[in-house]
Amino acid sequence: MPDPDRPARKHSDSGLPSGSLTELMREVLAKGKSFRFRARGLSMSPFIKDGDVVTVSPLGGTAPRVGDVAAFLHPATGKVVVHRIVRERSGRYDLKGDNAAESDGALPTERVLGVVTQVERDGETIRLGRTSGAVVARLSRTGLLRKAVGAARRAGVRSRGRR
Amino acid sequence: MAHPIGLESAYGPSEDVVVREIEGELIIVPLVAGVGDLEDELFTLNETGRAIWQKLDGRRTLRTVVSELAEEFDAPASAIEQDVLGLLEELERRKIVVRKG
Repeated sequence: MPDPDRPARKHSDSGLPSGSLTELMREVLAKGKSFRFRARGLSMSPFIKDGDVVTVSPLGGTAPRVGDVAAFLHPATGKVVVHRIVRERSGRYDLKGDNAAESDGALPTERVLGVVTQVERDGETIRLGRTSGAVVARLSRTGLLRKAVGAARRAGVRSRGRR
Repeated sequence: MAHPIGLESAYGPSEDVVVREIEGELIIVPLVAGVGDLEDELFTLNETGRAIWQKLDGRRTLRTVVSELAEEFDAPASAIEQDVLGLLEELERRKIVVRKG
């Protein structure tokens, strides 16, 4: 046999080849299952922080909703990105990071892979519904959410929640 | 309850796994309780593991798998048997493979 080491080993998602997260996520969601992975980046902070573990669930035949935090294929990079749906127009969805200045553009439904249903941080688990995000979406779309978070930070307010 | 892995048994991939070959690596994601856990439950097989995995078609017995691999790799069947049984124990414990016969 070619290599006598342990034939199966645990793998870390951070060691995956580029693009493979997308492939695995699509395949898992296509089976109607959820997908748990470690989020990277600051664009959804403080709702999702760098290093949080998020669970993305399939839409299950329902349409994405304004306010949902969705995993989607970014039109420019083709990679999976988790941002909030801030507007729906004629079946296309504007997505934007709560902490980002620009939206990701209007995307067709098929680019939306699933929605975030759970966020884990520091041993705490927050399960998310899909009904209370519309106001946050409006704030995010208009940039007020980013300003509010910035103002709260300057005022020394520390956020513990994701909504 | 888990049963001992026997050479006369045949095993195949569980329906609750996603398996992808990505850039030469075989990546296995078990779907545990409806979740594909890329954070804590992602597996990869090395060359030995892949050679064994490719023969787990639910029809071949493990004895046949051992015999075929011994011939293909010109290696002692006793050493291969150890690898096969060791891997199968781990894969079955994690519900990545199921006994088919």
